Amino acid sequence: MTSASGQAGQATGSQQTITALQNALAAEQAASYGYGVVGARLPQGSAAQGTAGADWVTHMRARDELTAMISARGGQPAPAAVAYQLPGPVKTAADATALAALLEDRVAQAYLEIVALPESGLRNFGARQVRAAAVRAAAWRGSTQAFPGLPASSLRS
Amino acid sequence: MADGSAAADCVMTARLSRRALLTASAAALPLFVTGCKGIQALGTPPPPPADVRTLQAAISAEEAMVARYASALRLLTPAQSSPYSAVGSEIAAYASAGAVHAEHVAHLAQLRSRLVEPPGAKPAAHPPPLSPSSGPSPVAGTSGRDAVLGELAVAEQAASDRLIGDLDGLPSSLAQLFASIAASEATHVEFLQAAGRGR
Repeated sequence: MTSASGQAGQATGSQQTITALQNALAAEQAASYGYGVVGARLPQGSAAQGTAGADWVTHMRARDELTAMISARGGQPAPAAVAYQLPGPVKTAADATALAALLEDRVAQAYLEIVALPESGLRNFGARQVRAAAVRAAAWRGSTQAFPGLPASSLRS
Repeated sequence: MADGSAAADCVMTARLSRRALLTASAAALPLFVTGCKGIQALGTPPPPPADVRTLQAAISAEEAMVARYASALRLLTPAQSSPYSAVGSEIAAYASAGAVHAEHVAHLAQLRSRLVEPPGAKPAAHPPPLSPSSGPSPVAGTSGRDAVLGELAVAEQAASDRLIGDLDGLPSSLAQLFASIAASEATHVEFLQAAGRGR
């Protein structure tokens, strides 16, 4: 038996989990779309295009995994948008590389929401996804960041 | 009544000999000292909560990493005999390690900012500053440089795994900081390996 307040707490916690998973799903859907643009702007047959293709597949798999996780928790996975607004024109290989790094930054940020959840398994899953996204972002950017995914406002001076 | 007893005490004190007063003072001294020690005289204070211990361990590990990089930077310092004698790969390796060192200093600052120590607590022991004149000499050759970078990469991977393994039970914001630092340290692995390849 659980008290009414306990049930309310569980519902709130569950809703918080679903929201974090939905946000990660939205970031993965955007990344899946964005990598299509990235791949199209990289030199045909280049190593970079091959990497973009592999990263695109990674994001689609992550999208499917998150969809299944949301459904398993009784949620309704939000569908992807038909198209996404790009942060700027993507006309060159350099633009495409910058876009790929930005997509990964946003994915890392979304998974950090899952790290904030109390559930141990989800927290570990989120942390590993943040790490994977940060490694991909660093590869595209050619440099590392001290705090991948963390907004500057959350850092203490 | 009160005035009367106080007056009697004064009288009593006045009647004590100098020797008796000194003896009484010596006997009372340990009691005063015990009183000053406060809770330590009654027993050891409780250990800090698990999340505080986890944070302290992370701070110690990050301090060790900063010291490791300071040592590695001395080893990777390009040859100084001539401004043109250092080859590009030496400079690149030194610059890469320097950039990563700066990120570890930032990690350490953020971790320390999350630790609230009670007033009067013994400050955490920090590694002594490394003097430029002390320590090993720069490594010679590509193999020595690769070995230094390789050891750093192994340490980075281990540090990243350890932070992710420590997430359970942490407050949300601290867990996010740990995960972000773990991600940063994983990126250092690739970065150092690329520097070793002379990218």
